[in-house]
Amino acid sequence: MLTLAILFLCGFGLLVLSSASAYNGLVRLGDEAWYVKKQFFAMALGLAAMAGIASIDYHMLKRFSGAAYLLSLLLSGAVLLFGDAYNGSRRWLSIGPLSFQPAEYAKPAVILLLASAVSRMMGKARGGAMIAFVFLMVLPIVALVGTNNLSTAVIILGIAVIMIFISNPKILPFLWVAVAGVGFLAIFLSLESYRLERLAIWRNPELYEKGYQTLQGLYAIGSGGLFGLELGNSLQKLGFVPEAQNDMIFCVICEELGLVGASLLILLFLLLLWRFMVIATHAPDLFGALIVAGIMGHIAIQVILNIAVVTNTIPNTGITLPFISYGGTSMLFLLAEMGLALSVSRYSVWPGKRR
Amino acid sequence: MQKTKPFHRRKILLIFAVCMLALVFLIGRLAYLMIGKSEYYSSLAEDLHERERSIKAARGRILDRNGTVLADNRTVCTVSVIHSQITDAETVIEVLSEALDMDEETVRTRVETVSSMERIRSNVDKETGDLIRSYGLDGVKVDEDYKRYYPFGSMASKVLGFTGADNQGIIGLEVRYEEVLSGTPGTILTLTDARGIEIEDTAETRVEPVAGNDLVISLDYNIQQYVEQAAYNVLEEKQAESVSIIVMNPQNGEIYAMTNVPEFDLNDPYTLTEMYLEITDEELQDARNQMWRNGCINDTYEPGSTFKIITAAAGLEEGVVTLNDTFYCPGYKIVDDRRIRCHKTAGHGSETFLEAAQNSCNPVFIEVGLRLGVDNYFQYFDQFGLNDKTGIDLPGEAATIMHQKENVGPVELATISFGQSFQITPIQLITTVSAIINGGTRVPPHFGVSVKSEDDTLLEVFQYDKGEQILSEETSGTMRYLLEQVVDGGSGKNAYIEGYRIGGKTATSETLPRGQGKYISSFIGFAPADDPQVICLCVINHPQGTYYGGTIAAPVVKEIFENILPYLGIEKTEVDESAEE
Repeated sequence: MLTLAILFLCGFGLLVLSSASAYNGLVRLGDEAWYVKKQFFAMALGLAAMAGIASIDYHMLKRFSGAAYLLSLLLSGAVLLFGDAYNGSRRWLSIGPLSFQPAEYAKPAVILLLASAVSRMMGKARGGAMIAFVFLMVLPIVALVGTNNLSTAVIILGIAVIMIFISNPKILPFLWVAVAGVGFLAIFLSLESYRLERLAIWRNPELYEKGYQTLQGLYAIGSGGLFGLELGNSLQKLGFVPEAQNDMIFCVICEELGLVGASLLILLFLLLLWRFMVIATHAPDLFGALIVAGIMGHIAIQVILNIAVVTNTIPNTGITLPFISYGGTSMLFLLAEMGLALSVSRYSVWPGKRR
Repeated sequence: MQKTKPFHRRKILLIFAVCMLALVFLIGRLAYLMIGKSEYYSSLAEDLHERERSIKAARGRILDRNGTVLADNRTVCTVSVIHSQITDAETVIEVLSEALDMDEETVRTRVETVSSMERIRSNVDKETGDLIRSYGLDGVKVDEDYKRYYPFGSMASKVLGFTGADNQGIIGLEVRYEEVLSGTPGTILTLTDARGIEIEDTAETRVEPVAGNDLVISLDYNIQQYVEQAAYNVLEEKQAESVSIIVMNPQNGEIYAMTNVPEFDLNDPYTLTEMYLEITDEELQDARNQMWRNGCINDTYEPGSTFKIITAAAGLEEGVVTLNDTFYCPGYKIVDDRRIRCHKTAGHGSETFLEAAQNSCNPVFIEVGLRLGVDNYFQYFDQFGLNDKTGIDLPGEAATIMHQKENVGPVELATISFGQSFQITPIQLITTVSAIINGGTRVPPHFGVSVKSEDDTLLEVFQYDKGEQILSEETSGTMRYLLEQVVDGGSGKNAYIEGYRIGGKTATSETLPRGQGKYISSFIGFAPADDPQVICLCVINHPQGTYYGGTIAAPVVKEIFENILPYLGIEKTEVDESAEE
């Protein structure tokens, strides 16, 4: 079931990407299929990784979680020093013809690290001390990634918060943390005028030049109507929506497939999340449960934030849509995470047939 | 190994529930955007995608009263290349450089420029455009366009005016009748991508342009030709700064001719005529505006003695003077403590009012003005319509510059009486004098006669006021007689043509500041004197040498009348020499 949903998402993603990226590929790189080819390559690699990881016992990974995390710190540090800049941000490490985005790798690394750390500490440390410790553990990677990729840092932090939330029996303290977080966010936003400007653009994208991207996205979404303009007929992807193959790809889906198509995609993601939920609650141990819960949190955060951004429900920030947006590293590690989830599901404990 | 506890599962469930709620909310948000605001956003998006290419409408022509085309359109072509559509660049370069007679390198640079559309040349003859089109080269576009064309170049330039790059009227009738002439541009709507490149295989919506209508004006090409010729002759002969002439029908206000020489070339209106060549660059636009000025309506001047017509009409109408009243002119008149000279310093001696008019005697007209008094004079000034604009159908008519009534004492009234110390436009003078001699009705001067469609169907005939009665018929008759006498035996005798009954009045005024030896000489004449069919005002600005209106301006009007009276079908009357004596 999960595998089917993943494969379907991958296929759908490739199809939509081929439509959304054709124009930019042709104009920028002279090849309509340039993006699709690269994405397909990453996907093949990812599917292989998924199959490989799914077939191993995930408990094995517990031992490597610390090392994997250190590696992610190393890579994230390296990218700051030797990274390639694209669109003004240093996010890529080049190894020969391949380029690699360490921030994407950091996500599964953090999931593994926290799952392993929390499941080990369970029963030893209690409440607040553990929370503080876990936060201290993820802080370095959040800081490293956050220096040039704030959105990904927020996602990593979000994953961490969700995993800690699950590991602690209480709810109330987290509400306080949430309230504090909102307060902190408010102060953070008001410190720099450009962040407030972003808020103003969010409220009224028509009035600002920088609201262009948001507005173009809304044009695309609004043009879709109930059934859309049919696949391949988007006009907004023709250079109007910036990065139509990337963060804004959901607009093109809306424009071409309409409300029906876009809703079906969201429901498909929901199905995926539901499967994660089922696997997590039936995992044989806390480590497995936390891994899958982390993956669920990761996918959920990205899907919700991406769609919220393109529909101008929240202020603009660059977050990709899992499995759909163009991005090789992201694709590879997403599929690797799926492998992890599949591996956990193999050991699921179903009530009634305990072993 | 840690086991999963129930609270872990509850919390995982909780997280899932929250995510589900969020996603359901986002579906709702999407539904709102895609159904509720779909129309709003998709129409905005359409505006964005649709590239509107406008198709110029052919501008209506301007025709003279006999149908001679004064302003026309020429089809010109713009040749451009679309880089992405060119298949055989070498042939394109070869054909274009040859057909357009352009340097091959220049063409090559433009053909090889990577842009959505590169213009090779505009204003190309239609024949050349057709030739290029006949090759059927990929990526070469020949767009037809209209360009305003004036067959007679500089003729009546300041009246007709010219059009700008978008075929819109800039000055003159072209701007005044913009609505009649302009038509409605058509549009081609095509879908484009963000770079503005048209997307192939999408339907284009085409709205055809509606051509503008033709404007028929009262101007007569032949009369205008005579008048401009006469104006240029005197301009050259007298080395004057400029010469303004208006020929009008005093009965209905139709203007037959209006010129301000030097005129300028309507087909090349931005190039300054010779007289402005020494001007500096910053003043270029000022100089152009100056060159385009229509002195007949845009500029005011001191009318001088021609204004004695108004004083006489007011005096006769009010009954403060009759033709046979006798006066004595010692060569000056003392008003308050001022001694105002007559142009004949020795004085005209004893003379009747009729003789004083023939002599253009200042002291007599001062006396008439004083007899009228400030109140009466101002009342007539207003009644004759001199305070209002004439309402001529040309833009930028200047208003009369007149004293405030409360500031007018006897001295000012005296100067006003013989046409000094205030300013009016030439069109104002000719309009007022027309009213005084046509039986007393002030008709609005105008050019616009009717509107015709392209296929010559009459669409509209402009209606003008019959005109207000500003003077009694009787006084008007007296004035005709008086002014005929001025030409017959007075200062206007140089306008006399044997066989025609001509009335008129001369004027010579020194321009402000006085004492620079700069004069304006003018003459206003009409014929036939008993039933005026045509009236002509000639104003010569700053002539060199002799500057008397009677000497230099009256002959110009005479020459014009000699030519146009027969043309207008006004027959010579039998001259009974003995009766005349």
